[in-house]
Amino acid sequence: MSILEVKDLYKSFGKTQVLRGISFSMEQGEVLSIIGSSGSGKTTLLRCLTSLERADSGSITVNGKTVFDPAAGVKLTREEARENQLQFGMVFQQFNLFPQYSVLDNVTLARRLHAKELPDYASRKKQIIEEIETDAMYLLDRVGLAQKAKNYPCQLSGGQQQRVAIARALAMKPAILCFDEPTSALDPELTGEVLAVIRSLASQHTTMIIVTHEMNFARDVSDTVLFMDGGIVAVKGAPDYVFGEGATPRMRTFIGKMG
Amino acid sequence: MSMFWSVTLNLLEGFGMTLTLFALTLLFAIPLGLLIAFGSMSKLGKTFYRKTSGSEGKEKKPFAVYPIAALCKFFVWVIRGTPLMLQLIVIFYGPGLLGYDLLPRFTAVLIAFSINYACYFSEIFRGGIESIPKGQYEAGQVLGMTRVQTFFHVVLLQVVKRIIPPMGNEIITLVKDTSLARVISVYEIIWNAQAYIKREGLLWPLLYTAVFYLLFSGFLSLLFGYIEKKLDYFKS
Amino acid sequence: MKLTKRILAGACALLMVASSSMLFTGCSKKEGDDKEKTVADIDAVKKAGKLVVGITDYAPMDYKDENGEWTGFDAEFARMFASDLGVTAEFIEIDWDNKTFELDSGAIDCIWNGMTIVDEILNACSVSDPYINNSQVVVMKSDVVGNYADLASMTELKFAVEAGSAGESAIAETITNVTPVGTQGDALLEVASGAADACVIDATMAAAMTGEGTSYADLAAGAVLTEEEYGVAFRKGSDLCDALNKYMDKIIADGSLQALGDKYNLSVVTK
Repeated sequence: MSILEVKDLYKSFGKTQVLRGISFSMEQGEVLSIIGSSGSGKTTLLRCLTSLERADSGSITVNGKTVFDPAAGVKLTREEARENQLQFGMVFQQFNLFPQYSVLDNVTLARRLHAKELPDYASRKKQIIEEIETDAMYLLDRVGLAQKAKNYPCQLSGGQQQRVAIARALAMKPAILCFDEPTSALDPELTGEVLAVIRSLASQHTTMIIVTHEMNFARDVSDTVLFMDGGIVAVKGAPDYVFGEGATPRMRTFIGKMG
Repeated sequence: MSMFWSVTLNLLEGFGMTLTLFALTLLFAIPLGLLIAFGSMSKLGKTFYRKTSGSEGKEKKPFAVYPIAALCKFFVWVIRGTPLMLQLIVIFYGPGLLGYDLLPRFTAVLIAFSINYACYFSEIFRGGIESIPKGQYEAGQVLGMTRVQTFFHVVLLQVVKRIIPPMGNEIITLVKDTSLARVISVYEIIWNAQAYIKREGLLWPLLYTAVFYLLFSGFLSLLFGYIEKKLDYFKS
Repeated sequence: MKLTKRILAGACALLMVASSSMLFTGCSKKEGDDKEKTVADIDAVKKAGKLVVGITDYAPMDYKDENGEWTGFDAEFARMFASDLGVTAEFIEIDWDNKTFELDSGAIDCIWNGMTIVDEILNACSVSDPYINNSQVVVMKSDVVGNYADLASMTELKFAVEAGSAGESAIAETITNVTPVGTQGDALLEVASGAADACVIDATMAAAMTGEGTSYADLAAGAVLTEEEYGVAFRKGSDLCDALNKYMDKIIADGSLQALGDKYNLSVVTK
């Protein structure tokens, strides 16, 4: 069973059609990169998957459960919507760390808030918080920032902030981790450290969808590459195929432009 | 010397009223201001806009009507656009002129001040809230936080940091504005000082009130400076 | 662009005309109604158990004694009237500019504060029979006061007057250099400080506040400008007005008003 199945997704902003029938599926442990020129709809697609936008029509099925299909009258309860939200982790282009919280608190905040809903929270408060913090420190260690746990975001470089954002997303134990151009806001010399973290996640078979402009990285790290053009999936397949024989003329122009 | 002390005591008594009015106005104006701020940002009525822009929304220009926001903005316009003194007179004398029971003088002053300052505050709050990047809300959402959680645990402190300087301005203005209460005979420090002019031709008690105002606004400046410094540890 | 501006301007003008005319018709209508109607204030006052008297700090009519209690000619007079009604008098210091608001809204029941009877007051309120004869006098430094016998000799002087007072109207036609100030006390201060050469205030106040033994020892009252009378103002049509007139007849006849006048050195009406 696919972990994610997207069928015929449409989305317009006003009179501009951004997604015009997107269909694809991915498996557990798969790394899927989405490439394409600006305006091709790749960020919108990611935002529709992560519930930051609501698509107009089509369907989205996660782990066998249909979470979006207006035509079939699918409507999630508040609880289901939140459960689905947590299936997806999201790393933003602009990091969006919470500036007033330390690195550690950025990673633990959401889980501490969720923990308050546990029935045994009052009696096990100390233990629960400890667990959350241990998990967070483990994740910060994985992104190489354990020693910065007490620092504030403004004291970190862009690359370090993005690594914290990755740890923060991982803390929610998402089924699928999504990246929206994670290195686009970074100085070129800082992209490497972020890509290295994503690479290590890929090596551990973390299910990921990565919207990126880093062609070499996409080719290198992905199991599947999806080239979007004008709101549709133009080419999809293994990196060698997409960058090789499968490449359409428009894609060749695009890759040429990206260097 | 005894004259000086009796004037000081008399002015202190008036300043007690000034401070009471100041504190109670803040107490009511801040939550009310927040409410008006949320009201004027309300997107309620958007459904109406979706219906009119059609099923496909092809060529029609979107025309959004947000009645709650419009009402709040109209209210803020009226209150900010008219003198506080006029509002005091309307709120205190208005009911009586229309044949209803009068409010007690202090209550009327408190209502007028709270509403007036709530409107000024609401614009500061709105500016502060709208200046927080959308990404902060989205980050909260993807981490499974509710909108309320995101507001209180993520956005609020950043808003506070941003609005401290303009709020400091407004709040110090409020200290001095309280002297307007005397037009409907709520006796605060300026009234008490002016009584010496009327009664004995003494001007210095009025000038002396400056000391009280300066001391208190100095204290407030220090307080706001302290809060600003406390929030200096992060940038947003 | 121009057209929209013109339309906007037109709309604004219309709005203003409409709202102001509404205001005026509203007012005049109300006045008309009030003239015909008798307002049953006596019952209301008796029910409340108190007569709310609007005053200002204005010696010798209303002022505070050493204990902070209101006293003075008017304060005592008002207490006498209140006890005749079987209620107590409650004094509220008001902003003189808002006196008719205070009265019309019911915040106070009467204005009893050495108030000169002038046309504006007669239009806005029901005013009692006069109870004190007063005059407007010119006050200046005592060393020069003898040099000026009448208003004609004072045209070069700088005057301070209470804005909207009887004194202001008394000199309006003769004197050009006039500074209106907030109260009669302010006017005295202007002269004492040298900011003005002369001021016009009530003779009663001048008697109480200038000359030896007062705060303004070096000021003195000179030329007498107009004669006038003090009255008590009630809401238009209030039945309290008649009640006070009847009560006054009584205390004029039995001499107690005269006794009160003697106490404060004021010339009360005798008939």
